[in-house]
Amino acid sequence: MELISLKQISKESKVLLLKELGYGSDGEFVLDSKREKVLDRYLEIPVKIDNMVIFPGSEIILDDNELSISKYLEEFGDVL
Amino acid sequence: MSYDPIEKVAKGAAEGLLDWGTDFIKKLATKFRDRKLGFIQDQKTIERVKEQYRSDELAFYKEYIKDKEILFLLKMGLTLRSLEKEKEEDRRKILRGKIFNKYQIKGLHIAQFVENGILSRYIGILIGDISSIEKFKEDIMNVLENIEKHVLFVRTKDTERDIIKQSFSITTANIPMIFIISGIASAAEIVKKCEIKLKELLKDYDLEKISSSQKETLVFKRILKE
Repeated sequence: MELISLKQISKESKVLLLKELGYGSDGEFVLDSKREKVLDRYLEIPVKIDNMVIFPGSEIILDDNELSISKYLEEFGDVL
Repeated sequence: MSYDPIEKVAKGAAEGLLDWGTDFIKKLATKFRDRKLGFIQDQKTIERVKEQYRSDELAFYKEYIKDKEILFLLKMGLTLRSLEKEKEEDRRKILRGKIFNKYQIKGLHIAQFVENGILSRYIGILIGDISSIEKFKEDIMNVLENIEKHVLFVRTKDTERDIIKQSFSITTANIPMIFIISGIASAAEIVKKCEIKLKELLKDYDLEKISSSQKETLVFKRILKE
């Protein structure tokens, strides 16, 4: 799988990408289609747009940290 | 709000950030939906996680430990160690915080037990006295599930008096075969200062020290009386 880094991408582009995937942002956090903050699946904390990673598997948006990524790999296998 | 593309491009350029065009974003989204693409922050983070996923040390632990949550915490310990090695102190602190928030202090201590290389040493001591594989597995699980009865993790705010008091209380209440006191950075200095008093206090134990510039670990092994 190809992995693209969002580190050097402008906030505007990240918001557009989220929109294309059916999400949104209040400028700081990632929001779902009901305009509610998207929570990291494993830590249950709101995901910030500047620290988000987006993985396939029901469009999973996580906080960029080793614990969440490791949990993702355990749940979905070594897909990255 | 008015939209000024020139201002936007200028701002992005000043910050060294890239803008993606709408068509390009649509292409990325299509590729993503086809599961051919993922969006990350730092490639190194993914590599670091995968490295621990495939590490020989974890493979060894998997032979003897079957509890998935405990194994996950051991993996987090290896990740903390890797961050420490790479001098990624900020990320290490953040990860410690996440482990603490999800698994409380006990989970963090299990991870720290691996991070400091104590679990591998502990297993080394157990192997020396192994009677059966089943007993060996039980002993490893026992220390991990009851880590606070076997290990004292010294905090920077602890005083010598606190350490002596806690060591006395743990060893009296639980009589562990192996009792460990571990400190990092400034806590390592406090552990060093306590060594003589602890040796006097724990007369039924032999002491083995594991020292490095940033860490001090005292491993007390109970002396078996004839």
